[in-house]
Amino acid sequence: MNIELDGLTKRITDTGNFISIDNNKCNNCGRCLVICVMNLWRKKEGKIYIVDNYQSKCLECAACYQVCDAGAINFQYPKGGTGIVIEKG
Amino acid sequence: MKDYDLIIVGAGPGGSMAAKTAAEKGLKVIFFERGRKPGEKNSSGCGLGPRMFRDFPELMKNLTPDKCPSMRAGAASRNYFINKDDIVAGYIMARPTESVSYEPAKSWITMNVYRSEFDPWIAKFATDAGAELKTSTLIVDLLKEDGRVYGVIDEKGEKYSAPLVIGADGVISVVAQKSGLRNKWVQNQVTLVPQYDFQAPPEKIDDIMGDETLGIWWGSTFPSSYQVFFNDGFHQGLGNWMNWWDRNPLYYLNRVINLKYYQRLLKILDAKPRELQAHLLPWLDYPNNTHTDGVILIGDAGGFPCPLEAEGIYPAMVTGKIAAEVASEVISSEDVSKSTLKKFDEKWQQTSIGKEFEAGFELYNIWKALPFSPKETMSWFVPMIMEIIGGIFDWSQPHALRVRQIISHVKSYMPKATPFIMAYVFPLLTKVFEDDLDKLMDPKKIMKVLPKLLDMLPQKKKKKGGEQK
Repeated sequence: MNIELDGLTKRITDTGNFISIDNNKCNNCGRCLVICVMNLWRKKEGKIYIVDNYQSKCLECAACYQVCDAGAINFQYPKGGTGIVIEKG
Repeated sequence: MKDYDLIIVGAGPGGSMAAKTAAEKGLKVIFFERGRKPGEKNSSGCGLGPRMFRDFPELMKNLTPDKCPSMRAGAASRNYFINKDDIVAGYIMARPTESVSYEPAKSWITMNVYRSEFDPWIAKFATDAGAELKTSTLIVDLLKEDGRVYGVIDEKGEKYSAPLVIGADGVISVVAQKSGLRNKWVQNQVTLVPQYDFQAPPEKIDDIMGDETLGIWWGSTFPSSYQVFFNDGFHQGLGNWMNWWDRNPLYYLNRVINLKYYQRLLKILDAKPRELQAHLLPWLDYPNNTHTDGVILIGDAGGFPCPLEAEGIYPAMVTGKIAAEVASEVISSEDVSKSTLKKFDEKWQQTSIGKEFEAGFELYNIWKALPFSPKETMSWFVPMIMEIIGGIFDWSQPHALRVRQIISHVKSYMPKATPFIMAYVFPLLTKVFEDDLDKLMDPKKIMKVLPKLLDMLPQKKKKKGGEQK
C-alpha cells in the first residue's frame, strides 16, 4: 500500500520560478531524478528537465540543488509568504 | 536603507534566541522570516531535549499546552529491530535510567512540539524584548563594500544595513553562500529526510502508547526510521546522506509504513496520513567555517545539529545566544573582523554543544555505519542482537544447550562484527575514555584476546549426549 500523496500538502501560489536547470552545465548524472521525493525531474532525449507544474508539487527540500555536483541546478526559496505551508512539521 | 546594530536572517529557534538576547542587551535588531509566520517552513526538529529546560529554564517554564497544544513529553522510547525479511524481530522499550542526573531528563526523554506552534512562541520573546520581526520576506543577498559585509537585501530590493549579520537561515543558507563561507555542503555533510505526519486521536495515543514518545525502527532494508508522538499525531520519517540514495527516498519510508507490524499499529491508533514533508538536515562530524568578516552562522546554517542524533533546536538556541552575546561585545568596539569573531567558536566550544563535538568524528562515523547502513550492517546486527536477547527465551532444547547454540551462532557473525568493532566501537571508546584507558582496556590488546576467547567457546559440547540443532 502506498500512501496517496495528493492532499497531503498545502501551498500558497504565486511562488514565481524558483528552480531551474542549466543544461550546458548538466552532466546527465541523474542524481536529481533519483533524489526527488516528488519525482519532479525527468529525462527526455538525453536532456534533464523539471516538470512544468513543479511549483504545485515541490516540497522545497532543495535536495536536487544540493545533490547536483555539476552546479547545474539553481534553487532559491520561493518568494516570501508563498510556497509550501507546513502545519504539522 | 534602514540601519540596525544587528541583522539576523531566519526566525527559527536559533534566530529568535539570537534576536531576544541581542534586544535584551540593548541592540537595535531585526530578524527575517520567509514564511508568513515563524515555523511555517519547518518540518521536523520537533524534539525538545531536556538540556533546553536545564539551560534555558526561565524561557522554557512558559511552554504550556495552551501555547503549544501539540506538546507531548514521555519517559519511554522504543527500539524496534526489523530483520531483512521486514519482520519486527524484537524490540526494547527503555526509560531514563538511574544514572540520568537531572530533571526533567529523569522524567522524560523528549518533549515533542509542532514547529508551527513552537517557533512563533519563541519568536514572541524576541519581539517582546524589542527585536523587529519581518515576515514573508526572503533575503536574497548580502550588501558588500570592498568585500566587507554591511547588510542584507531582500527579494524586493529593500536594503537593511548593520555591522554584523547572523545567518540563522537553515540548511540552504543564503548568508553562508553569499559570504563565501559555504556554497554547498559536501554530500556527506547533509542528509535528506522525507517524513509523514499522521493524525491520531489523543486518547488512542494515550491508551496504546502510554508515555512512549519516541520510536526508532532499526531496519535491515531501510535506514532507521524515527517515530515521534505529539498530542494528536505523530511523525514517521527517515533519512540518509545525499550520496546514499539509490532510488526514491519515499520507497524506503514506505517500506516502514508497509511493515505488517506498522500497519497494525496504524489500525489500532486509528491513524491517518495528514501531511507529507521533506527537508535537508546538516549532519556533520564538526562545524567548520562558522564565521567570517561581519558574519556568524548559527544552528543548521552553521552545521550544529548533534553529530550522533542530529538534535537541532538546542544547538541552534545555544549558538544563537552566544552569537548575539559576541555581537553585543564586538559591535561597540567596531571590530567585526574574522579574527575577532573567533570568539564565537571559542565560546560554543565551551558549551555542552562543544563537548558533544569533541567526539563528533567518532559519533558521526559509528552512527553512519550502523542505523544508516541497513544492508551492510543492520542485516547482520539485527539477527545478532536478537539472537542474544531473544534466543534465550526459547524452550526448543535444554537451556544449557540453547546457550551453546546461541553463542556458537553469535560467533558466526564475528567476521562481520569484528571489523565493525575495530573500525567504529574502539575509536569511540578510546575517544570517550581518552587518558583513562588503562592497559587492560587497550583496544589492540582486547582485539588480540577476543578471537582466542571466542575460540575457547565450544561449537558443540563434546560427548555427554545432547542433541545438536
